[in-house]
Amino acid sequence: MEQQITRRTQVLTNHLLLHGEPTSLSAAPPLSSNSCLNYSPPELNEPLSFNPTDMRVYLDSHNIPDRDWLFGLITQSRLFNPKQRGHKVFFSPDYNQSMEQQREMTMKRVLYLLEKGVFQGWLTERNPDAELRKFALLEVVGIFDHSLAIKLGVHFFLWGGAIQFFGTKRHHDKWLRDTENYVVKGCFAMTELGHGSNVRGIETVTTYDSNTGEFVINTPCESAQKYWIGGAANHATHTIVFSQLNINGENQGVHALIAQIRDADGNVCPNIRIADCGHKIGLNGVDNGQIWFDNVRIPRENLLNSVADVSPDGQYLSAIKDPDQRFAAFLAPLTSGRITISASAIYTSKIGLAIAIRYSLTRRAFSVAPNGREVLLLDYPSHQRRLLPLLAKTYAMSFAGNYLKQIYVKRTPESNKLIHVLSSAFKATFTWHNMRNLQECREACGGQGLKTENLVGHLKGEYDVQSTFEGDNNVLMQQVSKALLAVYIAAKKSNKPFKGFGLEHMNNPCPVIPSQLTSSTLRCSKFQTDAFFLRERDLLNRFAAEVSQFQAQGESKEYAFILSYQLAEDLGRAYSERELLQTFIQTEATVPAGSLKNVLALLRSMYALICLEEDAAFLRYGYLSMDNAAAVRKEVTKLCSDLRPHALALVTSFGIPDAFLSPIAFNWIDANAWASV
Amino acid sequence: MAPLNSSKPDELQVLVEEKLSARRLTLNRPKQLNALSFQMISQLLDLFIAYEEDSNVKLVILKGKGRAFCAGGDVSAVVRDIGAGNWRLGANFFWKEFILNYIMATYRKPQVSILHGIVMGGGAGVSIHGRFRVATENSVFAMPETALGLFPDVGASYYLSRLPGFFGEYVGLTGARLDGAEMLACGLATHFVPSKRLSLLEEALCKVDSSDPTIISAVIDEYSQQPYMKEQSAYHRLNVIDRCFSRRTVEEIISSLEKETLNKKDDWISATLQSLKGASPTSLKISLRSIRQGRLQGVGQCLVREYRMVCHVMQGKISRDFFEGCRAILLDKDKNPRWEPSKLEFVSDRMVDSYFSKVDDEGWEDLKFPARSNLHVYAIAKL
Repeated sequence: MEQQITRRTQVLTNHLLLHGEPTSLSAAPPLSSNSCLNYSPPELNEPLSFNPTDMRVYLDSHNIPDRDWLFGLITQSRLFNPKQRGHKVFFSPDYNQSMEQQREMTMKRVLYLLEKGVFQGWLTERNPDAELRKFALLEVVGIFDHSLAIKLGVHFFLWGGAIQFFGTKRHHDKWLRDTENYVVKGCFAMTELGHGSNVRGIETVTTYDSNTGEFVINTPCESAQKYWIGGAANHATHTIVFSQLNINGENQGVHALIAQIRDADGNVCPNIRIADCGHKIGLNGVDNGQIWFDNVRIPRENLLNSVADVSPDGQYLSAIKDPDQRFAAFLAPLTSGRITISASAIYTSKIGLAIAIRYSLTRRAFSVAPNGREVLLLDYPSHQRRLLPLLAKTYAMSFAGNYLKQIYVKRTPESNKLIHVLSSAFKATFTWHNMRNLQECREACGGQGLKTENLVGHLKGEYDVQSTFEGDNNVLMQQVSKALLAVYIAAKKSNKPFKGFGLEHMNNPCPVIPSQLTSSTLRCSKFQTDAFFLRERDLLNRFAAEVSQFQAQGESKEYAFILSYQLAEDLGRAYSERELLQTFIQTEATVPAGSLKNVLALLRSMYALICLEEDAAFLRYGYLSMDNAAAVRKEVTKLCSDLRPHALALVTSFGIPDAFLSPIAFNWIDANAWASV
Repeated sequence: MAPLNSSKPDELQVLVEEKLSARRLTLNRPKQLNALSFQMISQLLDLFIAYEEDSNVKLVILKGKGRAFCAGGDVSAVVRDIGAGNWRLGANFFWKEFILNYIMATYRKPQVSILHGIVMGGGAGVSIHGRFRVATENSVFAMPETALGLFPDVGASYYLSRLPGFFGEYVGLTGARLDGAEMLACGLATHFVPSKRLSLLEEALCKVDSSDPTIISAVIDEYSQQPYMKEQSAYHRLNVIDRCFSRRTVEEIISSLEKETLNKKDDWISATLQSLKGASPTSLKISLRSIRQGRLQGVGQCLVREYRMVCHVMQGKISRDFFEGCRAILLDKDKNPRWEPSKLEFVSDRMVDSYFSKVDDEGWEDLKFPARSNLHVYAIAKL
């Protein structure tokens, strides 16, 4: 106790007295400037082992000059709310504005980007290069603001995408150029109050009037009102309507039609009622609305007829006879949505990590020795353990996201199913990771993480929606497991090898995990993939066995799936993480030998081992022994300290300009000084 | 290292005057418009490093002798050296020059540059990064590199990209000349002082005895005046510049300028188009990308990137436009360079990409800066 008092007195004295020879208290200023903290930029103290612009090429992967161009367009305009903090300027929306103001600013920003030619070719050019450029530019927009990205996503990917995918030439000619130039503003009315992920259950009904050659769209009950329709509350002039199509008393299932909801002056059209979904926990720059259709009449040509058509005299015609396949064709545009969501989750994770890690390289807390210098946050092994595995996961997801984009832009009818499954798995995995990552980053920044201007805390509200829109994450993961099970059943039935979704490893002998795991084994990609193969293989076997067991007990196939949800979840995760590890290894293989490749190997090992550590399945089902699991845990802490010296370079490689991070990522003393506030 | 230029070593290329706590450095190669030789760069670097540590020095004044402040790096000497053998000799010149630019950009003490007369290329590099830049009615600023098969270097991707709107793209791509009033308006200069008051200003600065930027600024303010902006100034065309020079590619910039003239003839746009069409297509593309990356980077990163680029230019593997430009403009003076590739559409993205990658040559390294400690917040903000 006495020792403590002496120490505290000493600390206080140090605060009060100038360094050097003892002086009387009255002669010294009340507080000495010598004991004040000085901000020291991490760049001065953290040597770079590789050039971050070289690493960025692997992370961003495509259209880097176009990304930088768009970052520059944003920073050269006052519309994007530049805010001076200390000697730095930051660009972020003013989230303290009212919902109405935020929506108006979002629309103004859209029009500024339009004038600069950002959207040129987004709908009128259809080739892999144009598509990748569109993805890259949308990712940059999302780094500035999720609302702005969603506003564009709805207009171009959902409204525009629906016309591209479901429409035919007459729709393309009429709408695509006008959409690209914002002559029309589109929205996408799929979700209803009573039906979200289960699109087949929607209740909106469309009939055909052969006397006038018109479709009649109706909202028959309150649960059939369209809900959460982005753009509907204020700006959209047109919408895609998803509706049951009832022809001559026979329901032909869900179809998509174009309906005008506002005139050019913004007045709501007759027989349309629109309400505002109101203030949300985030994304308030997007005007989500509710729509009711009161027997709205639209021309016959407005049916998007690539899948099915209705003749002028009212006959239903479709090339696809099977209603299930017809329905699947209607969900195609949601694939691109899941790809852009996956990418945006990665970039948001990067923002969080860049801020939290930069802060942890400049903020100190507590000293180890009495009167010793306080310790840098990231020099605490515990702080490393909190942030660096998340950094490794974010790297893994970047590479996997790039792979997904590549197969999407080069898609063929054969690859559609793979894209569907992969985009479902990645969308769920990445968006869950994003939320978890932001929470950890916010806590790692302490109280500073609470300030909206520091982003890490605020972004949680902005991005929470990702877990459920464009397919609820849990539902998506179940679909992944179902698809894997279908491959399993096909292989067993025909007694042929496994084919598809990367399950070919099931054809090999079961991998064996060594009983003794050395550090070098743990860091070896062969061991890591073996462990992931083993888990996926066993979980798929267990899942298939459980489902068939339930079926043997008399349950329907559908209900058997529902009952086997635990294994389905575990399997979905195992699939997703195995794909991530494999794309990481593939990316690594393209990197020439050198410091950059070495760092990637550390990150890959960290990714693999943190998955082994976090998934209870490894211990539950005995893929790892208790000794193995202990060795993994120990290796994770070693990897933390191996990665620590590269932390700054690794977040710098994200290529996010300073102006899109936040004050605590830089000189936070200067930013909060009296002269700056 | 062997001297890289032909001037006599006994000739004083930088004059040094000690005035109380100020140091006045005068670039002294008036016949060559004070073009920076390797020797001058080395000398300036030594002086600046020494002054930063010397507590007797509080202020550095940099000026040029004669009618130019500085017309740039001594490019013809560099080309001669490369012609004589190893391109790495040329690269050494830029290494040292960029280090000097970096030291100035992160300098702890105020530098006042008197930009009387020509300020071009390397001349801008040794002044614009400093704290105070005084323009006069005789100032002529330009970054003319694209006409020479080079690109705006010396950290220009940092300062050009920070000019209002897309003025930096305009200045960097066209090599447009700016006068003192325009320099002040766009922020390249911090003050405008009529040349007849320069000697009084310098005298006053020599007596300041302070490193406080507000005090020094106040002293310069006393001699400053608001210049008159000429009617035909490009600065009055910021709207057009923002509309056109914000476009994604050089091709789109040119076509948007052409669109502007569809309805009515416009001499300024015609002149702008003419400069763009006369410049090296490769230079235009790498310059645009460099400025746009620079907008998002610190001055250090900008110089590292520019050093990679300049090494590729000196190596001459991707394009030899720089040597052709020097031939046509500086040596043969036929002003008719034959660029290769000759058209923008022949310069592929892949070619442009390679200028930004590491240089594949034995022992080649990225630019490395000397350690800087105790940087002032102002300098840190630029990192």
